[in-house]
Amino acid sequence: MREEAIKRFLLVTGVIWLLIFSLIPFLWMVIISFSSSPDFLVRGEGSFTLKNYIDIITIKTLHFPDYLKNSGIIAGLSALFATIIGAFAGYAVSRFRFRGRLPLIMCVLGLSMFPQISMVGYLYRMMSMLGWINTYPALILPYTAWGLPLALWMLLSYFSQIPQEIDRAALVDGASRLQILRKIILPLALPGLVSTYLLLFIFSFNEFLFALMLTTDHHARTVPVGIALFQGLHGELPWGYIMAASTISSLPVVLIVLFFQRYIIQGLTGGAVK
Amino acid sequence: MHRFVFFSIFFGLIFLNCEKGHLLTIAVGGAPNELDYWEKLIREFEERTGIKVKLIRQPTDTDQRRQSLIIPLKAKKPDPDVFLMDIAWLGGFAASGWLQALDDYVKRDTFDLTKFFKPVVTSVDIYEGALVALPVYIDCGLLYYRKDLLEKYGCPVPRTWEELLQVATLIQKKERTRNPRFYGFVWQGAQYEGLVCNFLEFITSAGGGLFDSLGNINLCSKTNIHALTFMKDLIHKYKISPPNTYTEMKEEEVRISFQNGDALFERNWPYAWKLHESNDSPVKGKIGVTLLPAFKTGKTASALGGWHIGISAYSDNKEQAWQLVKFILSYESQKRLAIDLGWNPGREDVYEDPELKHNLPHINVLKESFNHAVARPNVPYYTRLSQILQIYVNAAISGRMGPEEALKKAEEKMREIIHTYE
Amino acid sequence: MSREFRTALPFLLPLVFVVSVFMLFPVIGTFWMSLWQDVSFLPRKFVGLSHYLRLFRDTGFWQSAAFTLLFTFVSVAVETMLGLFMALLVNEQFRFRGLMRAVMLLPWAIPSVIGARIWQLIYRYDYGLANYVLQKISGKVVNWLGSSTGAFLSLIIADVWRTTPFVAIILLAGLQVIPDEIYRQAKVDGATLFQRFFRITLPLLKPILIVAVLFRTIDALRVFDIIYVITGGGPGGATTSLSLYGYKYFLLGDFGYGSAISISLFLLALFIALLYIKTGRFKEAVL
Repeated sequence: MREEAIKRFLLVTGVIWLLIFSLIPFLWMVIISFSSSPDFLVRGEGSFTLKNYIDIITIKTLHFPDYLKNSGIIAGLSALFATIIGAFAGYAVSRFRFRGRLPLIMCVLGLSMFPQISMVGYLYRMMSMLGWINTYPALILPYTAWGLPLALWMLLSYFSQIPQEIDRAALVDGASRLQILRKIILPLALPGLVSTYLLLFIFSFNEFLFALMLTTDHHARTVPVGIALFQGLHGELPWGYIMAASTISSLPVVLIVLFFQRYIIQGLTGGAVK
Repeated sequence: MHRFVFFSIFFGLIFLNCEKGHLLTIAVGGAPNELDYWEKLIREFEERTGIKVKLIRQPTDTDQRRQSLIIPLKAKKPDPDVFLMDIAWLGGFAASGWLQALDDYVKRDTFDLTKFFKPVVTSVDIYEGALVALPVYIDCGLLYYRKDLLEKYGCPVPRTWEELLQVATLIQKKERTRNPRFYGFVWQGAQYEGLVCNFLEFITSAGGGLFDSLGNINLCSKTNIHALTFMKDLIHKYKISPPNTYTEMKEEEVRISFQNGDALFERNWPYAWKLHESNDSPVKGKIGVTLLPAFKTGKTASALGGWHIGISAYSDNKEQAWQLVKFILSYESQKRLAIDLGWNPGREDVYEDPELKHNLPHINVLKESFNHAVARPNVPYYTRLSQILQIYVNAAISGRMGPEEALKKAEEKMREIIHTYE
Repeated sequence: MSREFRTALPFLLPLVFVVSVFMLFPVIGTFWMSLWQDVSFLPRKFVGLSHYLRLFRDTGFWQSAAFTLLFTFVSVAVETMLGLFMALLVNEQFRFRGLMRAVMLLPWAIPSVIGARIWQLIYRYDYGLANYVLQKISGKVVNWLGSSTGAFLSLIIADVWRTTPFVAIILLAGLQVIPDEIYRQAKVDGATLFQRFFRITLPLLKPILIVAVLFRTIDALRVFDIIYVITGGGPGGATTSLSLYGYKYFLLGDFGYGSAISISLFLLALFIALLYIKTGRFKEAVL
């Protein structure tokens, strides 16, 4: 009985701690985004306002809507490409027992451990030579590559759960491998595809260093870079704008997490445990 | 079918951002209202000359502005044709061969160079004998003070740092009873370019400098150590500068603190005047501006800042680019930039304009301080030297390193850099 | 070439192509760049390994290497412990557990730059939340980002906030596969709560724990975003990570030396990963 009490105590305090620890910074972000001055605590004055939100959306020269659009397109497309390419590869690795299969997986997984900085120098060079600096492809292509190890890892574990007998039966019926993948495997692994896509979207949406080096202005600049460089001419930090922009940009991610929490956790851990 | 859609999206995107033809382009950065103003100025140029111009809006962050120029220049792109450069980049841009020499145009059009501040043009705009840029906007450090408080306590406007210390200590003590957040003197001490400017002003006004008279680096001199120790003591010993001086204090933090009435003296750039005197400013009508103080051993010194205009060596439109440069540097445009945006003209003759004098009553102080301007070293690897200075000066004023040790180490590092890149 | 491989090849080619061109090749390219003097105002020339020799004499490099290792060690240690606690917590049955898991994930899911901006505001000396609360409680304030130690701890807190959920998710998966049977049997045998944790949970969790620690270690070694935003590497260069140090040279236009720094970080990460894999039986855990 005493043990149950200890456990209960730990659980309750733990949950409270977790809530406070995770949420206070978010609350602070939202509060500042709605307040007329970021220093209202010490000044003792300040009021509720929507000005920050209205400003960042309507003042054209702040380019926040542009950043949002760029991020949406770049993250959306690179996640799409990575999911499609990852599905092809995942199918092959889960279905064919060729030599070099394990080393291939290990190599691709190993690639995800490369520090971004060790690639960005040459990527910058490459994109300059192609004239792609400050364009969408300059980010979409590296993000696609960057997401592939994760895509392969996740989809592999989903595809492995689909029995191979289905493939064999379809092959006997005269279906091609491509047809099997498109008509049978992908529909069956749809939850896996969706969670892969969402996670890749989040990763690309959040990436900072590539975007910082490979874009120069609002034509291709993404939200994280925009928020990191939001500042006035003389270096002042417009905290109200920054927090309003942060709140808006967090929304899609927060919604994804709230609704797809189970799939995300499953997706991330599917490959880790057998 | 699917694949077709896939690839057309893909290639569509790739070719989406292709470059435009031979349009004249100018890259300017700044706050939204400033860029809008530039847009207006350029439309006027278009109407007058019939030359079409596109404004490339750059970010406000100085490092980012530099990077967004370096990318096309390194790739030898024809755009932008004309751009503004921070004074600190000029050496690097010129040495890389990115700037078109303007001497021929100046000679051909008998463009009068004597109208510009001579010390500015000779110290930064002429690189290895060639004129590569011209000043659009000059900046330099000034001392702002609370006129009302000095009068209230019967104190004079300080001429020396020692006087400033004395006055600030006294008034801070008295004002603290009313406002616990009050400080005597706020300045830029965060680890960034502005710190180097402040440091340069302190050491030069003590009679020191980065280099000796022969141009050899001489950072760890007695005068420099004395000045740096004074900077540190302002925060730690005399406590008339706030403890976040060395972490957060950049131009705007300093300006806001002074504008909220939380400081007696402020070191800042000229732009702060207009904001301090704006209608919603708590210190409106209560402030004065003067030259920065000096130590007993030296003379007042103001770090020279500002933006210069130049033409890309890869421009495919140099003739029209020069027309645009001339338009921006004309008496009329310079005057308007000064009145409407508070950009201090690079032309000396504009300072005598009666309308300008009426609008900007502190203009005389400005003109005088430009004549005491101290430029940062005009070498291509300046940014590297500056980074070293930022790190070690910041370490010293934060108290993590003794001033002498910091300067000694910084000097060592700077020697290494000079050795590497010379 | 076996028949299986020939059928597999077309499916694998897109992946191999994209990954080679945009990940593998850039790393090799960056190494190649590190062998050249590449500064805009100096002639481009081949300098061999001399940038690496310069690294040896560069105290800034060693300082940031030391910072990076210390940051990695401390943040991974704290995150692993807290992450384990979090995972145990959300593995229990209680109402709103799903919501709780979602809340736990949030700091990790939003862009790191946003998290960093929030913390930067919280740490502000004059009107930050941290100092406001501290003032109310103790009457004193702390210059969070003003000293090397303060800035270090501030970064650790921000990083812990952001990445502990990741450790928790991975460990949660490990917890879920431990059969309840074992716990029930142990209870019957009279093992206490803590005994069950140390004798059953921890040993069974060990393989996945190693995976989590490896991932976090590699990720912490390349830390960039939060430092760029919160301290910018200061005060006085005390919190410059290797990634940031390399980036600063890129920004200055010295691509050769910046590349050499980047490749050093790459080699460091590779070395540590190999160390884990050799000692931790990583392969069995993943596959």
